[in-house]
Amino acid sequence: MDYNKPLPNVNEDSREFWTGCKAHELRFQKCKDCGHIRWPASMICPMCYSRDTQWIVASGKGTVYTFVVYHVAYHPGFDDDLPYVIADVELEEGPRLLTNIVGCRPDEVKCDMPVEVTWEDITEKFSVPKFRPIP
Amino acid sequence: MLESGLSKYAMLSYGHNAFSSDSMRRYLIERNPDDAVFGHFGAAAGYALAARRAMHTFRTGPETWKHIAVGQRKWANLNPAAEMYGRTMTFDDYYNASWTVEPFRLFDNCLMTDGGRAIIITSTERARDLKRPPVLIMGMGQHNPSCDVHQATHLAGPTGAKKAGEMALTMAGITLDDIDACEIYDAFTYTVEITLQDYGFFGPGEGEDWFKDGTIEPGGRMPVNTSGGQLSEAYYMGLTPLSEAAMQLMGRCGDRQLGSTTNTRSPEIILCSDNGGILQTHTCLILRRS
Repeated sequence: MDYNKPLPNVNEDSREFWTGCKAHELRFQKCKDCGHIRWPASMICPMCYSRDTQWIVASGKGTVYTFVVYHVAYHPGFDDDLPYVIADVELEEGPRLLTNIVGCRPDEVKCDMPVEVTWEDITEKFSVPKFRPIP
Repeated sequence: MLESGLSKYAMLSYGHNAFSSDSMRRYLIERNPDDAVFGHFGAAAGYALAARRAMHTFRTGPETWKHIAVGQRKWANLNPAAEMYGRTMTFDDYYNASWTVEPFRLFDNCLMTDGGRAIIITSTERARDLKRPPVLIMGMGQHNPSCDVHQATHLAGPTGAKKAGEMALTMAGITLDDIDACEIYDAFTYTVEITLQDYGFFGPGEGEDWFKDGTIEPGGRMPVNTSGGQLSEAYYMGLTPLSEAAMQLMGRCGDRQLGSTTNTRSPEIILCSDNGGILQTHTCLILRRS
């Protein structure tokens, strides 16, 4: 069956992130001046305004900062997923990533729960990072 | 502009056919394409993320929010202009309603409304000889945490309400003890709780005790959202709370009029709030009867 959920909206800022995802790597920008690791991707560091940046690969481990459980699908692509979990995951490296929690029941998800990345290859072109509990 | 004489009148207005058209739904669903990849849409889920973090940080949740949903509905039942005028709500109704984006149930969410509101502002000098007594702006404050919501650290407070509230109270030269009622931006029940908490009406986690026993209802000691608010009257963005505050101070509110009609304090000073984004901007306005 064709993939019927929205696809990533790749732009010049986020291209490296989505290219990394295809290779099953979580890539983020690290400021070469102040060391701040940022997301979403941007030309300048939001902490010190430096444009000097390098891409790093994150460990893929983090904790659930907060989460919600969708009981209504606002897009037909998610009808069959209900109920599903959206979480703001705080990565070990600092940035928080909006994502799904998979591999457990929605009522097992808790704030500050340790999670790790797991990859979903959704199309030829895209892989999406989701997170599952670390046992 | 009004004080300098550049203009004599300013009109704040809002109108939308949010219920009968799909424009609001489309706006909310399409506002962030990166989030849509994961199935995250709209404002309710953003505020629900904030509310969930708050539940982890201090004592709150549906046990607190039911008092807000039910209390405001009692005001709407006194307001013929309210969408929910003829529909009462009990705590059981609140709990029995379906989840939308958990931890929010249906009645934690505001309405989608066809309609509008307008307020006219002029100089105090011009206002002196109007037919009706005007309402004066005593104080205002604004604070905008504004950062990308997924990186935000203010979701469980302090939100922009804290500094905005302090600024408005300082400008007005009053304290919270002088406030007779509040008209709070209430797109979601949690917004009312975190806003009043950040203004300092109660400490983190004390909301349930503060709201219970009808504090914000007709006859309560601190009436809140006396039209029914966005939850039970109509959603006109910041103009739902602001227009209600002005009309209460002018004495134009009929069966829901603060004072002897509803067994509440006769209002001299009302505090209003407005939010933008997901708790990303905040305005506090304090109005006084002239």
